[in-house]
Amino acid sequence: MSDRLRRLADVLVGYSAGVEPGDLVVVQGPTNVEPLLEELYAAALRAGGMPSMRATLEVDDLLLSEGSDEQASWVSPADREDVEQADVWIVVEAPSNTKALTGISPEREALQQRARKELRERYLERALQGELRWVLTAYPTQAAAQDAEMSLAQYEEFLYAGALLDNGDPVARWRAFAEEMRRVAEFLNSKQELRIVAEDTDLTLAFGGRTWIPSEGRENFPDGEVFTAPLETGVDGEIRFTYPAVFRGRQVDDVRLRFEEGEVVEATAARGQEFLEEMIAVDEGAKRVGELAFGLNDAIQLFTRNILFDEKIGGTVHLALGSAYPECGGTNRSALHWDMICDLRSGSEVYADGELVYRDGRFLAV
Amino acid sequence: MRDQRLGRLADLIVDYSLGLEPGKVVRIDAPPVASPFAVELYRAALAADAHPYLHVEPERLPELLLAEGSDEQLDFVSPIAQAELEEVDAIVTVWCHSNTRALSRVDPERHQRLLASSQQLAKRRWERMSSGELGWCGTLFPTQAHAQDAEMSLTEYERFVFRACHVEEPGEPVAHWRSVREELSARAGSLSEARELRIVGPGTDLKVGVEGRSWKPADGRYNMPDGEVYTSPLETVTEGEITFAFPALFNGREVDGIRLRFQGGRVVAAEADRGGEYLDAMLSLDEGASRLGEVAFGLNYEIDRFTNNTLFDEKIGGTIHVALGSSFEDLGGQNRSGLHWDLVCDLRAEGEVYADGELVWRTGRFLEQPQPAVEHV
Repeated sequence: MSDRLRRLADVLVGYSAGVEPGDLVVVQGPTNVEPLLEELYAAALRAGGMPSMRATLEVDDLLLSEGSDEQASWVSPADREDVEQADVWIVVEAPSNTKALTGISPEREALQQRARKELRERYLERALQGELRWVLTAYPTQAAAQDAEMSLAQYEEFLYAGALLDNGDPVARWRAFAEEMRRVAEFLNSKQELRIVAEDTDLTLAFGGRTWIPSEGRENFPDGEVFTAPLETGVDGEIRFTYPAVFRGRQVDDVRLRFEEGEVVEATAARGQEFLEEMIAVDEGAKRVGELAFGLNDAIQLFTRNILFDEKIGGTVHLALGSAYPECGGTNRSALHWDMICDLRSGSEVYADGELVYRDGRFLAV
Repeated sequence: MRDQRLGRLADLIVDYSLGLEPGKVVRIDAPPVASPFAVELYRAALAADAHPYLHVEPERLPELLLAEGSDEQLDFVSPIAQAELEEVDAIVTVWCHSNTRALSRVDPERHQRLLASSQQLAKRRWERMSSGELGWCGTLFPTQAHAQDAEMSLTEYERFVFRACHVEEPGEPVAHWRSVREELSARAGSLSEARELRIVGPGTDLKVGVEGRSWKPADGRYNMPDGEVYTSPLETVTEGEITFAFPALFNGREVDGIRLRFQGGRVVAAEADRGGEYLDAMLSLDEGASRLGEVAFGLNYEIDRFTNNTLFDEKIGGTIHVALGSSFEDLGGQNRSGLHWDLVCDLRAEGEVYADGELVWRTGRFLEQPQPAVEHV
């Protein structure tokens, strides 16, 4: 048990974050996963880093229900200093209740989000300048297992398999997988346009001049996708998302979208229609696609209602409504970034510049 | 289920000990095992319109650091921790262990090195505290480990802790502690007029000079529970001998049956039934380690027994304690040392204290209450 945890910690510290001697390493996560936090601390020490522990208790519900607006929008010195001073930031998500904030009014949540915007921008800026490396991971809790409709033990097995930690040398496996993803990205970078065809889906997305980037297990762990930002006006047709679309604990089922010149012109859902419409209307950019990506991790096969895992399911494609990644060349700006996943593992085809390149969840010749 | 006593204790610390004002930034330091109490403190600080945040540190980190860390890693002081210390207005330290002896078998030299590096932050904290920029209160969350040290069940121990803090029953703990403040201030005032104390008890006849030193009440602002009056005695005057009935604990080590003989303020003979070597090592730590830095009366009569924890033991109503080593500068103390080791002497069954020749204390009680008098439960 602890041997597995230790290997996970070593891969996160050594491979994902690439901790080097002298690095100030902030380890952040809830005390639910104290054993993992301890292993990360020890792994950072072994790598010669200077670990700084930020173990958290889940008090946001208390803050947002009992605190004043001023208190809810306050940013602690700890949060500010972590973002300002860390060389490496390892964040573990492990909620004890994924719906704990469901009863909080959206305005209160938005208040907190706005207050933390500066922090978010600062860490992205430091990351872009190469001053800060961050990695986000999720560790199984009973709550997450419940969302995934699994036992905790099953969910742990799922995580270790998806993280390529179930057998062999995990770092060697991640290096080989990264190589494969780079080939896919390179192939897609030679194309201009994709057409995705599946049940109730026929969508064309143009991305000429944009960059496909392989996601190799550095900033997300586990990982396994290639992603880009399509042209803001280059999306046409319709798509039906096979998996429920989950955003901040709220679930919308069977989303169908129709696009014209990049913009959503029709949106329907079997459940949660109102929330879907609200989100699309958040701002101008929320109507457009900020991200197009292929999930390539074949060790992740099950839908678990955690986007960190779900968007990497091998044989899926996902779109995000809202903000685009500037590193891909995307220019769409929005407060929203909502990933929606379409399973292509059976009865699907993808054409690149008119040529069939992908069928039933697999690239044909990459 | 919420333990109402924890809520009352949290409110007491926020409202009385810290007197937290709206808009102030308060950090709550606690290990994960104390989470229920940390959350209550967080809630109480929110209710006071302050800005609380939690600093939770897994208990195993020092053990891991000692096991895996290089000298450089042991010496490292996080710039994040330094910056935080400059920005907070108050800190609550929740002392709490799941195992009070987890570090008993670590390499003492490396442990010493780690303690020395953590002193840098502690020093800065004391600086900010003594200049009044930083509020601080140390308290305890009861666990099985502390109950075990106290030789009680957890249920009994919880009752003991909450009684000592005066929050076991619903009521007005703030009013209680305000009256304690008044009483102890009056007591400190009258003791400040004394030139010499003579403490007489089993195996004990000790003269301590206190002329010109001021006495201070420990009234629940820096510790909860609290309840003592203390000063730093004259450095070269202590004469005679003293026997400590309770085991003396320091850094997780225990020395039993300590007897000390003083001449001209210095320890000239030291014996112990158990742990004598450690006692000798501590006494020879530096020049100041063999002189007294503190003499104090324990006056919290809701603490009625020894529980192997200095936070409580030094406040046992009816005891006297002295500390070997560093003294309090603000009270006129001049003794400097790396040591400050509190040793508790039980005077409840048999014991007298004379101030300038006049009997002022017998069997654990001052003979006259200072004004205004306060009844203890």
